[in-house]
Amino acid sequence: MADSNAPKPSSSVKLVLLGEAAVGKSSLVLRFVNNDFQENKEPTIGAAFLTQKCNLPTRTIKFEIWDTAGQERFASLAPMYYRNAQAALVVYDLTKPTSLIKAKHWVAELQRQASPGIVIALVGNKLDLTNDSESGQAESEGADGEESGDARKISTEEAKTYAEEEGLLFFETSAKTGHNVSEVFTAIANAIPETSLKSTRGPGASSAVNRGGDEQRVNLNGPREAAKEGCAC
Amino acid sequence: MFNNLSSFVQKAQSAAQQLIDPMQGLNLTNSDRHPSKASLFQNQFRLPSSQTPLYEIPAELTIPPSNVTQGDKERDRGWHYAGKLHLSEFYMCFSTTPTSFTQSASPSSAAAFTGQTHGAGPSGNGFTFPLCAIRKVERLNTQSLQFALAITTWNGISQESVKDKDAQKDKKDFREQRITIQLAGSRPACERFCDGLKKGLRNAVGSVGKYKKVISECYSEYLLRPEDKKNMNPPDAGLGMIFRYPGDPKKLRDRAKMRLWAEYLRDNGRNATLIRQPTFHKLIRVGLPNRLRGEIWELTSGSLYLRLENPTLYVDTLAKFEGKESLAIDEIEKDLNRSLPEYPGFQSEDGISRLRRVLTAYSWVNPDVGYCQAMNIVVAALLIYMSETQAFFLLSALCDRLVPGYYSSTMYGTLLDQKVFEALVEKTMPILWEHLVKSDVQLSVVSLPWFLSLYINSMPLVFAFRVLDVFFVEGPKVLFQVGLAILRINGEELLDAADDGAFISVLKSYFSRLDESAHPKSENPKLRAINRFQELMVVAFKEFSGVTHSTIQDLRLKNKDAVLNNIENFAKRTAIRNLGPDSKLLSPEELGALYDRFYGILYERQQRDHIIQEQLARTKASRARATETYPEHHNHGIEKGRVGLGPSTSLMDYDAFREFLASVSKWAISDAPAASPRRDVSEKDRGSYFGSFRRSEPNLLSPWGGNPEPADHEFMQRLFRRWDVDSSSTLTLQNVVTGFAHIKGKRDIMGTITYFFELYDDDGDGRVDREGILRISEALLFLSRRGLEGSLSNSASTPTPNGLSESSSSSLTPPIGGTINERFLGSVSAFIRRCFEYADPDHPNNQTTNEGTSPSNTDEPAGDNNSAFAIGDDEDEEEDLLAFEGPTDSPKPEKKKPELGDTIPPALGKPDTDNEARRAVSKAQSEKANAALDPSNPLHITLPTFRMVVLADELLEQFFESSFPTSLHLIDGLASTNQSTSSLTTFSNMGFGRTSGAPPPVPQAGMAGAGRSLRGVLDNIVTDASRVAAEVRRRMEEAQRELEKNAVPGQRDEEEEEEEDVQGLRPTGYGGDPERRSVRSSDRDLLDGADAGAGAAKNPEGQSQLNVDANGVQDARPRTSSSATQRIVEFEG
Ligand SMILES: Nc1nc2c(ncn2[C@@H]2O[C@H](COP(=O)(O)OP(=O)(O)OP(=O)(O)O)[C@@H](O)[C@H]2O)c(=O)[nH]1
Ligand SMILES: [Mg+2]
Repeated sequence: MADSNAPKPSSSVKLVLLGEAAVGKSSLVLRFVNNDFQENKEPTIGAAFLTQKCNLPTRTIKFEIWDTAGQERFASLAPMYYRNAQAALVVYDLTKPTSLIKAKHWVAELQRQASPGIVIALVGNKLDLTNDSESGQAESEGADGEESGDARKISTEEAKTYAEEEGLLFFETSAKTGHNVSEVFTAIANAIPETSLKSTRGPGASSAVNRGGDEQRVNLNGPREAAKEGCAC
Repeated sequence: MFNNLSSFVQKAQSAAQQLIDPMQGLNLTNSDRHPSKASLFQNQFRLPSSQTPLYEIPAELTIPPSNVTQGDKERDRGWHYAGKLHLSEFYMCFSTTPTSFTQSASPSSAAAFTGQTHGAGPSGNGFTFPLCAIRKVERLNTQSLQFALAITTWNGISQESVKDKDAQKDKKDFREQRITIQLAGSRPACERFCDGLKKGLRNAVGSVGKYKKVISECYSEYLLRPEDKKNMNPPDAGLGMIFRYPGDPKKLRDRAKMRLWAEYLRDNGRNATLIRQPTFHKLIRVGLPNRLRGEIWELTSGSLYLRLENPTLYVDTLAKFEGKESLAIDEIEKDLNRSLPEYPGFQSEDGISRLRRVLTAYSWVNPDVGYCQAMNIVVAALLIYMSETQAFFLLSALCDRLVPGYYSSTMYGTLLDQKVFEALVEKTMPILWEHLVKSDVQLSVVSLPWFLSLYINSMPLVFAFRVLDVFFVEGPKVLFQVGLAILRINGEELLDAADDGAFISVLKSYFSRLDESAHPKSENPKLRAINRFQELMVVAFKEFSGVTHSTIQDLRLKNKDAVLNNIENFAKRTAIRNLGPDSKLLSPEELGALYDRFYGILYERQQRDHIIQEQLARTKASRARATETYPEHHNHGIEKGRVGLGPSTSLMDYDAFREFLASVSKWAISDAPAASPRRDVSEKDRGSYFGSFRRSEPNLLSPWGGNPEPADHEFMQRLFRRWDVDSSSTLTLQNVVTGFAHIKGKRDIMGTITYFFELYDDDGDGRVDREGILRISEALLFLSRRGLEGSLSNSASTPTPNGLSESSSSSLTPPIGGTINERFLGSVSAFIRRCFEYADPDHPNNQTTNEGTSPSNTDEPAGDNNSAFAIGDDEDEEEDLLAFEGPTDSPKPEKKKPELGDTIPPALGKPDTDNEARRAVSKAQSEKANAALDPSNPLHITLPTFRMVVLADELLEQFFESSFPTSLHLIDGLASTNQSTSSLTTFSNMGFGRTSGAPPPVPQAGMAGAGRSLRGVLDNIVTDASRVAAEVRRRMEEAQRELEKNAVPGQRDEEEEEEEDVQGLRPTGYGGDPERRSVRSSDRDLLDGADAGAGAAKNPEGQSQLNVDANGVQDARPRTSSSATQRIVEFEG
């Protein structure tokens, strides 16, 4: 994926995935990072960390991805992971209404507690389970899933409207088929404001430089209150 | 923005903490700081919480040189260990390790390695025998041994073989397990111990059958089976028996390990009768053989004893909850296919359904934990090596004892141990720590999964299981030691890692190469043969041997408060945000304060309960066992109450609700005179709401702690019922928020009026009947009896704060048209009158017979009626509205007319200020009122009528507009209103029947005072309307009866009786109330009864029983036989 010849500026972006258990957060990451899918993915304990580069025309973004555990009781750990995050993927399962409610909670939490200016994408996953996934694109858009007998429980309209109200990026994906997955990450990469990309963490950069960059990034992102308030354990 | 609020809750919590220990602001429970001896004992021997240390005595254990295997010819005298022998209700334990709960630990004769539990696990040489595993105890009377017992166990004697015991004894391959213990105490101490043992053995006789069944499920029974049982079916030793165990058995040297264990078990007893010698601990360190792994885990973790205690719990639980659904089950279902998916057993229906059953059963027995992700992985791992039942109990042992709080709904244990781990890293590897801090790497991001899943999904399974082998014996400190060793070994590389990502990848690659040689380039082949995992174990247990159970315990104590606060802040933030649309009606400050108060009260109540129960138990215990035993009751450290600890207290029952209201509204405080000590204290620190936490001890034992006793008025019950939308008899935070939002949030008088009306519209038909009207007026008086708050714009009014003092001072003189509060009385009486005047008849026909005119609804002006209430001469609409109300059922309207003119003069809507006028009106209206109160003439008011009647009176209007909503002080609570207890504006001290300025010494609790004076008020209103008076009196007396019912101690629920009991036992009991005293003494009789019973059981046996000869105990099942050299007490099952 990375184009080593191009001396494009490279910056790293901390991205966190949040969402109800088993909506497919880890699967999305696995698809993005390894272009792979596992039917029985172990639940994430605490959080998992992966990295992946994303090449944009003008620059390279290295995503540092924090994939968190979805079960409700792990929620109090989340501040530890979204601390300093510049981007967040809030994932729900298109076939599970409760998962959108949970996603909204996460959006609210991020808007209040995370770094200001965090780029949030709302992602409805498991599109392959709905009729409008691969073949049925035509009859899709906003069609009432339940009526056409597929597993969709959350209409595109509903989620999209909400995303627009809150100023979120919005995608419907399938980690299983790979549909729309890299698009999500690319969109996020594009949405990250240039100014918050101070930190370059290329392989050549010394750690001292990195540190400096990091601290700056932290400061740039405003009060560290969020970090302090979180469950910094 | 919640910073302030959370510091408030923090304050609240630490204030609440002072209930327990005024010296400490930390939120540590008593059992945290001073673990009871019982809990230390239970921990050391991993015994169930039912066990308490009854007797202990220094002793020397002698294990006969039975074996070929240890082969040490020089030691043919056997092995001797000096240590301590302990006896609990159902166990006899011996350990050479100084116990963590006694100072006088005997020196260990064995310098050899005995496990590093430091008294917090089955360490040292010794045993933990269930008494039912003991077949025979003999007293040895040799010269050299002062007081020695020979103990023979059931080891190796199976259930079937009991039947032909004699045949069994002839068998060559059978060898009894018989050990000798020499007691080293004073003779009386030895005898006491033996008495206790004898008693315990006797009680245990009945459990022998159960015991044998339980151990028959242990693999060792199969492994060591006698020759003639060679073809029996092996017990379930996990999925591994079907799907193979992980790892290459050759590489693991599984057969060799199995042989070593077989030998060890043959010599030292198996499962419950196993005796720990140095080899035992060594064998564990080298890794357990597959088929014995489950059994040894079960034994060392102590879950075997849980299983022994209740062998059918697992099966029973599954049966009991068959087909039931729960949130936990949904969560479990999601993860079943996601648990060790790489192991073939969990790609099969068999494995998955085992996992489902174990997790489900556990979620039912421990609903507070339910299901936490990571448990699936841990249980899946257990199921590879043990049966479902064994895994179920081992999971209990994990959650309750080994990793407490890890899987709780707030995961505070996990978070706490992460803090502890960080502290340890900082202490042991300061350079690395500094690097982590500088690089802004959060260690727990890496280490949390290690702890939470016990390394199972961090390391390759074979290695993770070896960590578990040690973990189950030595306890949670192993997790820390291994974690520290991992960091130490990778220290160099970690110092180069500059961010989380690099940090994680260093460790990932380390874990993937654990089976490689630790010293690949070494010349020495022995060194080369050491793999990285072995290196890890060595570093963990050698280099970090200083990390002990008490190190961990200390650090946990130190960090606990901060961790809980963090969790609580998060929980609060989240809870408030998720409160739903109604919460938007309240300000964030109000929500925050509400949240704090809600949980503060629940917490305080729980602490109070706890203290009271502890006191009670202590009292009981010290009476029941005057001698010998330890007066602690077993509290095994289960904490409750704090949000951070778990979900156990998120529901508010009615009593808590009352207490809640009493903390925000002065009207919700009972009129009953405070118990005398409380008033004293409240003088001293009437300060903040939480100041009231700091009270003298006796108050802790009152049902309300140091807080004012809440009233119990019908209005509060209605409010509770109204808020309890799902009729669960409890309120959630959401219920309370919604409830307050509807009263306080709308700031709209019509809304409040409607709300009030609906409170009394029981059947929701839009009508409030006669009864309801009376009850509303009662409520109005109840709510106003301490003075009105809010902005009262009435000309004669004084601002609220003064209102209070004014009313109390005015109560010294008969009130003449004075204060707002007095005028409010007038308003209420006018309210009643008008309600009845303008009420609609339930049956219009009735009405017609009574009255010429029958307006069937109030919106229809009864213009034809020339009633006294024709106040129509006033111009504005409201008064016009009133004009039509008049007519209804007054038989003699003309007569009333002039007086009414006087009473509700030009400015209608102004309250009456003149009592006399009111009386006059009452007189005049008596007959009419009679009709209104005639039960044979049912009537009701509708919301529009109610609204109109309220709006007709300025003071009432203001009550609904401002006074009532502001009387709920959500944010600041009742800061300065503690004094209101003494400056209570009761109606009796306002001249209605009483002139005394002092608060009335009302003997009954609750609103008796208000009730009595209310009666006075109403009497005045309807002086000669005897029927009205009778009706009202009936109502009042009813109320009073109810009150008395609620207030008299005899009617209290058990809990409160217990509380009283505790208090009764202290010198500072209730003063002067004979009824209470009688409750107390009857309770004491109960206690005495128990006491007597216990004494009776104990005293006759006070003498040494081991010395009595055969005749002495013939009746009992145990037989005592004597021989020339020894006296035998033999127990046969
Ligand atoms: N059909 C379908 N299944 C999916 C998709 N994404 C994930 N899954 C399945 O959903 C289950 C949960 O996926 P995970 O990626 O582990 O979910 P998660 O959100 O990481 O879950 P937690 O770690 O527990 O929070 C797995 O069995 C996946 O195979 C998808 O796009 N389509
Ligand atoms: Mg995941």
